[in-house]
This record gives sequence, structure tokens and C-alpha cells, in this order.
Amino acid sequence: MSKGFRQSQAFLHTWSGLLLGWILFLVFVAGTIAFWREGLNRWTRPEIARVEQPMRVLAGSQAFLAKKAPDAKSWIIPVATERSPGAQLFWVPQPKPGEERGRGRRGGRGRGDTQVLIGADGQVVQARETRGGEFFYRFHFDLHYMPVIWARWLVGFATMMMLVAIMSGIVTYKKIFRDFFTLRRAKGQRSWLDGHNATAVLALPFHLMITYTGLVTLMAMLMPWAVVANYTDQNIVFAKLFPTAAVVERTGRPAPLIDLRRIAADAERRLGAPASFIEVSDPGDAAARVSVSQSANSMLSSRTPRLTYDGVSGRLVWRSPPPGAAAETAGAMIGLHAGRFAGDGGRWLYFLCGIAGTVMVASGLVLWTVKRRERLPDPTRPHFGFRLVERLNVAVIGGFPLGIACFFWANRLLPVMLRGRADWEMHALFIAWALAAVAAFVVRPARVWPALFAATGVLLVALPVYDLVATDRGLFASLAIGDLMIAGIDATMAVFGFAFLWLARRVARHRPAAKRVRKAPAVITARVLEPAE
Amino acid sequence: MSILSLLLATAAFVLLGLATDAHHRRRFGQCPPPSRRRMLRTGGWLALVASVAPAMLARGWIFGPILWVGVIMAGAGIAFLALNFLPARGAAGDRSCM
Repeated sequence: MSKGFRQSQAFLHTWSGLLLGWILFLVFVAGTIAFWREGLNRWTRPEIARVEQPMRVLAGSQAFLAKKAPDAKSWIIPVATERSPGAQLFWVPQPKPGEERGRGRRGGRGRGDTQVLIGADGQVVQARETRGGEFFYRFHFDLHYMPVIWARWLVGFATMMMLVAIMSGIVTYKKIFRDFFTLRRAKGQRSWLDGHNATAVLALPFHLMITYTGLVTLMAMLMPWAVVANYTDQNIVFAKLFPTAAVVERTGRPAPLIDLRRIAADAERRLGAPASFIEVSDPGDAAARVSVSQSANSMLSSRTPRLTYDGVSGRLVWRSPPPGAAAETAGAMIGLHAGRFAGDGGRWLYFLCGIAGTVMVASGLVLWTVKRRERLPDPTRPHFGFRLVERLNVAVIGGFPLGIACFFWANRLLPVMLRGRADWEMHALFIAWALAAVAAFVVRPARVWPALFAATGVLLVALPVYDLVATDRGLFASLAIGDLMIAGIDATMAVFGFAFLWLARRVARHRPAAKRVRKAPAVITARVLEPAE
Repeated sequence: MSILSLLLATAAFVLLGLATDAHHRRRFGQCPPPSRRRMLRTGGWLALVASVAPAMLARGWIFGPILWVGVIMAGAGIAFLALNFLPARGAAGDRSCM
């Protein structure tokens, strides 16, 4: 291979990785946490009991809706599982004459008064208002405080850069495959490079998969031309991709709705898999229809089949046709990205790979400064670009985890009755992060790094302790009732807390070796070690 | 079956790792003779290929390959950590093996 080509690839790798690296870091961190979305949805609401009989929740949901919104246009009821906090159901009221409402399910936010959480005992639960794990899931591609469409473009663009960085990285540094068993510790730049390589190569299949399938999830937005060229009406595309049963007109004749538990049981028998969503249109009318979607936990593709029943007689009237090859492929890729099919073991693997990806991005960003520091004309007064990257690294890599720790604390400490409580939890994250960023730009990095890591560590370690003392969902209580999910989240937070503390100590104790490198390879080894613990 | 697959994949990467100069010296105190290196490499690759079968048996043709890819990543990770962080008998010393 000609030298010029290799060099150009190395250049590409450096700059495609750097420019949007900080956004990639955020996306990786939030996405990695979002693999435990369901678990966090429960962890952030410690007052809710675990669901043991999903059918009881369903019966309770139907009873509640029959009383509360008997003449709604539709009800949407998620089928509770042992992993979910209950059934977060909502309903769409009848449109007022002259007011046309679009697709109800995609109505976005602002449906606060038409949704309710039904708990394990089939009753409405008064839980603290929180976005829980959903926050990380949405932040992972919608970011926050900005229009969703901008955020998706930004994330989509960062993802493309990631793909470029991965490809050019493989091409440039073919040696990584031969060298990847090697980790030279306490050797400055070499150690950073080894750590960067190890996290990149060890989880390379995951990195490629997650980046590519991540682009697939955004493909309709990033590359709309195929759709635009073939269809004039967006709605037709939508109808083709997500087919539904023919809509029936409301008759106006009242008729009792069948017990949804019977339909759910029948659907699960026919699908051979658990159901995830039940949608009832025109409940209480003779033309009521009940649609059941199969759970995405049971299959690879995220485009799950649906069955539609007559809501009065309980007769099956429609089943979704098998999707086309392209739709099936896209569905499978999105399924692969989100890993919803994965059991607990698979979830852990996704999580660990996500950590590897996070460390890869973080170490790559730090490596940029480590590499250039040696070549600075005057190391005590680096040029502006260098200082900017250095400070941004501290602000993002050090600050964002601190913000997340504050999010969890806000979830525990904010008064339950606070107005806009869920929003304040998120504000807490960004306020803490903003303070960290200010500190990063004001104080010397050698001080801020350990301070931020230490603060994050202390906050994370203290969380399970708080749970133990102040809630009845402490680690031991959860273990006693076999609630491994909640216990696991508490334990994982403690492990991460200790890892951050250790990291802070290593960074703080480090003395630059003869003014060559500032930091020991501690960061890399520490984070690589985490998965093993 | 998935455990078996994981064990095979881990063994595969440990063998492949031991076939490198640096790790062989660290573990056995000397550079690997060519015949031994070949043996380690062959063993590693065979174990890696063998780990496909239990993964397929465990999860079928759709999830089996996904499981297998996951398993080789986990195996490589475990091997990497074990080779680099388990205390070794031989000293690392200089790394040239000629």
C-alpha cells in the first residue's frame, strides 16, 4: 500500500474521530445506559412494586379506562412484563368536530392528562414523575434542549463520521490485529494507543454493527431520496411499512368490549410469543377493534407482527402480512441495534461492548492531546486549538458522567410534589454538567480531571447506600425478593463509583514523566478492567 | 451450550495470544520455538472454529450467529484481560525475540 494512501487514511481517522468525538461520546454513554432502559424505568420509581401477574395489570388497565375514558377514540395499553414498572397506558379522546388529529400514537409529548401508570395490583399508582430510563434512550439520538430534527441530523452526521473513523482506523493501522493482545502499561502514549486499540478491536464487530445499524435507524431522514423518488405521499409509505387493518366507521351503537385478557391470551397463542401493545379503537362501540402487537423481545426484527380482533366478539379479523425483504432487513438491523431480543446475558454483553465503545471514543480524544503534547514547541504555553481540545475533553469526558450521577440523585431527592419534576431531574444533569464545563475551562486540567472523577465516584457509590437506608428497595431487600434487576443496577453503580474513585486517585497521583506525558495510562486500564468486575 | 461456546472462544484467544512473542516470554520465560508457535496458532484457530457449533445449537440460525459474535468478543476480552493482568512468572524484559 502506498505511503500516501496510508497517511491520508491516518489523517482521516484523526479528524473524523476528533471533530464530532464529543457528541459520539455522549451518544455512546447514553446509548450504553439505555440498554438498561426498562430496568432504570423501575429503578427510578422505587415506590412501585414489581409486576408479578401481567394479566392482573391488563385487567386493571381495562377497568380503569372503561371508567375514565369510555368513549375515547382509542386506548393504547402496553402489556406489562416483569421488567416493566407496570402499564403506562394512554388514550386518545374523540376528536372534536372540525379538529383533525393526525396519527395519535406519534402525537409526541403533551399528552400528560391522558396517560396513567397502572401498577402491579391493577390500580393506578402515584409514582414520582420521572423520565427514568426513557431519558437516556431519547437523549441517545434526540439530545436535549434542541429541536429533535437538528439533534438527529447532528447525531446522524456524527455516526457517519464514526463509520469513517472505524474504516480508516482499520485501513491505517492494520497492525492492530497482530498487536491486539498487547497492553504496555505505564508507557505513556504507547499505553494510550494500546488501550484505544484493545477497546476498538476487541469489540470491533459491535462497533461496526452499532454504527451501521444506527445509521439505518435514521436512514429515512438521512437519505430520503429513494422514498421521495418512488412515493408522492408520505402516508402511503407509512401505510406500506406499518400496515394496519382497514379502519371501520364508528357505528354509534354501544356494545360491551370483550375482556382484553382473553384477546391477549389468544394473540400470544397465535403469535407464539408475548404481546407488547394492545390498541383498542372505538371501545364500547359495536365497531370496536383490538390490535395486538408482538413483543420485540421475542424476535430479531423490530417490525413485529400485529393481529386485529373484533372488539365485541373477539374474532380475529386481520393479521399483518409478512413484511417485504427490505423492510424485514431494516427491521432486523434496528432490532440488532437496540438489542431488545437479548436476555440478561446478552444485555450485559451489549452493555460491556457499549462501555468498550465509550472508552474507545474517550481514549481516542485524549490520545489526540497526548500525541501532540510531545511535539508542542513550548509545552507550558500550548496553542489555542490544543487547549480547546484539552479543555473540551475534561468538560465532556469528565463532566457528563458527573451530570448523570446528579440526574440519579435528583431522581431520589427532588420533592415528589414538585411541579415539572421530571424536567428538573434533567435540568439537574445539565446544570451539574455546565458547572463542570466551566470548571474545566477555568481551572488547570490536572486539577479538574481528578476532581470531577472523584465527585462522580462519590455520588455513584453513595447512591446504593442511600437506597439501602432511605428506600425499601435497597440492595439486600431486592436480593431477598429475587429482584436481580434492581439489585444489579445498585451494584453496578457502586462498581462504577469505585472505578471512578480509583481513576481519580491514579490521575491525581500521576507526575508527568520528565514533562513528556501528563497522565498515566490509568484511565484506559481502569475502564477496561470494569467489565471484568 | 452457550457456555461451552464461550469456553472454546476464550481458549482460542488465550492460545492465539500465547503464540505472540511478548506473551509467550511473559508466561514461559522464553520465545516460542516455531513448531510450538504453529501448534498454539493451529489450536487457537481450531477452537475458534469449534465454538461456532455450540452457538448454533444453542440459539438456532438467526440468533446463533449473533450469539457467536458476542461470544468471540467476550472470549477475546477475557483472554485479553487474563493475559495482561494475571501476574506472570517470567519477567517482561526486552521484547525482541530474535
